[in-house]
Amino acid sequence: MSAAQNILETVQLSKSYPGVQALDGVDFDLRYGEVQALVGQNGAGKSTFIEIIAGSLRPDSGRIVFERKTFAHLDPARSIELGILTVHQENQLVEELSVAENIFLYNLPRSGFGFVDYSRCLEAASRLFQELGVDIKPGRKVKDLTFIEKKLVSIAKACSRQAKLLILDEPTASLDEHGKTLLFELIRRNTKKGLSVIYISHNLGEIFEVCDRVLVFKDGKKVGTHEIKSVSMNDVVREMIGRSSTSLYTRQASAVQGDGREAFQVVDFHRKGVVEHVSFSVRKGEIFGIGGLVGAGRTELARMIFGLDPKDSGRISYRGQDITPRDPGDAIQKGIGYLTEDRKGSGLILVRPIYENISLVRLAMSPGLTMNLARERGETGDMSKQLDIKTPSIAQMVINLSGGNQQKVVLAKWLYAGAEALIFDEPTVGVDVGAKAEIYRMMENLAKEGKVIIMISSDNPELTAVCDRVAVMRDGRLIAILEGTQITEENILRHAMGVGEKE
Amino acid sequence: METKALAVEGKRKSWLTQAMVLLILIVVLVIVTSVVNPRFLRITNILNIFQQIAILGIVAAGIGMLLVAGHIDISVGSQISWMGVILAMIIQRMLGLPEGNVSAWRMQLAIPLTIVVTFAVGALLGLLNGITVVKSKATSFIITLGFLSVYKGAALLTCKGASYMLFGKFEWMGRGRIMDTLPVSIMFFAGVLVIAFIVLKYFRYGRFLYAIGGNKQAAYVSGIKTTRVTITAYIVVGLCNALAALILISRNGSALATTGDAYALDALASVIVGGVALAGGRGNALNIFLGVLLIGLVSNALVIMNINPYARDVVIGLIIIAAVTVGSLTSARE
Repeated sequence: MSAAQNILETVQLSKSYPGVQALDGVDFDLRYGEVQALVGQNGAGKSTFIEIIAGSLRPDSGRIVFERKTFAHLDPARSIELGILTVHQENQLVEELSVAENIFLYNLPRSGFGFVDYSRCLEAASRLFQELGVDIKPGRKVKDLTFIEKKLVSIAKACSRQAKLLILDEPTASLDEHGKTLLFELIRRNTKKGLSVIYISHNLGEIFEVCDRVLVFKDGKKVGTHEIKSVSMNDVVREMIGRSSTSLYTRQASAVQGDGREAFQVVDFHRKGVVEHVSFSVRKGEIFGIGGLVGAGRTELARMIFGLDPKDSGRISYRGQDITPRDPGDAIQKGIGYLTEDRKGSGLILVRPIYENISLVRLAMSPGLTMNLARERGETGDMSKQLDIKTPSIAQMVINLSGGNQQKVVLAKWLYAGAEALIFDEPTVGVDVGAKAEIYRMMENLAKEGKVIIMISSDNPELTAVCDRVAVMRDGRLIAILEGTQITEENILRHAMGVGEKE
Repeated sequence: METKALAVEGKRKSWLTQAMVLLILIVVLVIVTSVVNPRFLRITNILNIFQQIAILGIVAAGIGMLLVAGHIDISVGSQISWMGVILAMIIQRMLGLPEGNVSAWRMQLAIPLTIVVTFAVGALLGLLNGITVVKSKATSFIITLGFLSVYKGAALLTCKGASYMLFGKFEWMGRGRIMDTLPVSIMFFAGVLVIAFIVLKYFRYGRFLYAIGGNKQAAYVSGIKTTRVTITAYIVVGLCNALAALILISRNGSALATTGDAYALDALASVIVGGVALAGGRGNALNIFLGVLLIGLVSNALVIMNINPYARDVVIGLIIIAAVTVGSLTSARE
């Protein structure tokens, strides 16, 4: 092994928890200046692995070799000292402080009497940004930054601590295409200077765009490491899920029924500066996608349709009847269901059991004082089986489920309530590949049953693979509705970013 | 999946141990106290303990259900004080005490009127607290801290600093015994506890409380009228306080502007110690009962063991701190 060009190696790294082997004899090597992706389904061992590298977990056995020094284990302070920095999925910046202060928070430059030297702080930050190629004014407050800017600041902060190895955990979650481009440029520019990156993501497209090698985990074991150039996405997926799959997802025949008059019609939804006079109609059995960049007004539109947010104008009619809802309770009575973008924040009661979550909407709609607990258990149990929610018991708290299974619980909740029109807002974010395909299949089956399906997504391959038609929004406007062969990733992106249009 | 399943079993075990820990604490307390003073285990003392915790238990049941919805009401003590003064005043005026020579209809009407008015006031105070918390969108702790002061002052204004004596009228609720043995107040306590149990477990309303306490936003998106449910929970607290005030004043035979003040702390201590999560979404009637029992036993044990009564507040305070610390450490681990 040519250890000289490896910044990090692990030898037979293992870690077990009572009843489960989280990491099983993993040999790993990372070259200087390399971006290596870690992929695997949830629970495959990625998190355990990076936590050991970052020093927050101790392995049971095995060695870590960093720049030729061998360690039995690390601790967080030691890892940082060595130059191993992690950028977490969630923003961990202090909102009220400036960008520069956040970057140097661990060691603010001080003047004479121990006061913070702001000008030096700002200078140092500008210098750092110049080096890294980040275009943000260091004097701005973090709370005024956009999501991508915060992400870039987090990375800059890590780099400022003499990072030699950067661990990026789902760095593109909730980033739009533009944000991803900025991020990838940053990564490329700095790996050229010798920075090494461990890149964790569910998004294979990105991995193939930015990474040099990909390591596939399954059940705590390393399945293989591949040069990106000599492997295909399908190979990687096959290794991750351990069974063959010809493509990410193949759509069955479309199930669109009836004509436009029967449709779920969204007419002239408007709130000044947020959503600009949006109209479209979705037929029974149709999967209607809404694409666009983050911030294009898609979630805002969905919230207005569902009666969650105020609107200046907008009507909904279904089967010729006006069903414009006043509030969520009213929307539900009229058969509209909304699977929110923020599963944990507004979709689920995490500390309550699965069956209570599933029955909640139905319970909120139904009259009467008491509940029939036996019936509830029975029916929510059937629902759970029908959607194949993987759990030993429906009495389990939702917080313990994986992302995919949590999403199924949200879906089960709306189906149990008998919703006719379902709005899925980013339904597969944080969901592993296997569960993604299951969710698509479910959407398809629901469409076949004659339900109206609207899917908001920033995942363009997903829109392309699943939808009958795709509307694209930009700056609150509905720019285009793509049909049939027009639905390509490129077209969606082009409309979303406003490229190549005559204005 | 295996990891997940195991994690859950582990968690459920730890929940079990929480109720178990409480039971063990209670048993240990009983043993220690009865060794120090065997009178502790006499039937009269046991009935005495339950009679003492009856009022606390009724207040705690209201607060416990509110806490399940993620809200808190620390004004309960001064609510009880004020209602106590009001109800004692009505009885005194209606019966023309201390002379007591009034017409027959006044004799007949006095107690029913008092009870109706007290519950009405309780519901009103709850409504006021609830609407203010919900509409202000402020933390319930701070809003009800304000109301604590308002009601305390109102009680003083109502009685002008004096006390109302009842001269042995209106004794049944607080001092009455069924067939000369079982105190009436214990029956009220048991009744309220059973209602709390049924509501939390079998009522849609109870489920909504858990949903709102667990995640208000998700509850709203699921079509629950969160505002209405939350305000109702405050009204229930007010009604429980009204019942508590009736029993308390009946038992004491007089009302002062501060008679009920201590119940806020004790009731909060009880539900928190019992394991109703401060953040909402978790806890049941058993939690409330065990918490009340522990707090009641501690108070009684201190008296029985001849420990300085002033030490009681120190002990209760330490118990709250310990319970909250354990609670937050265990939830931080999740």
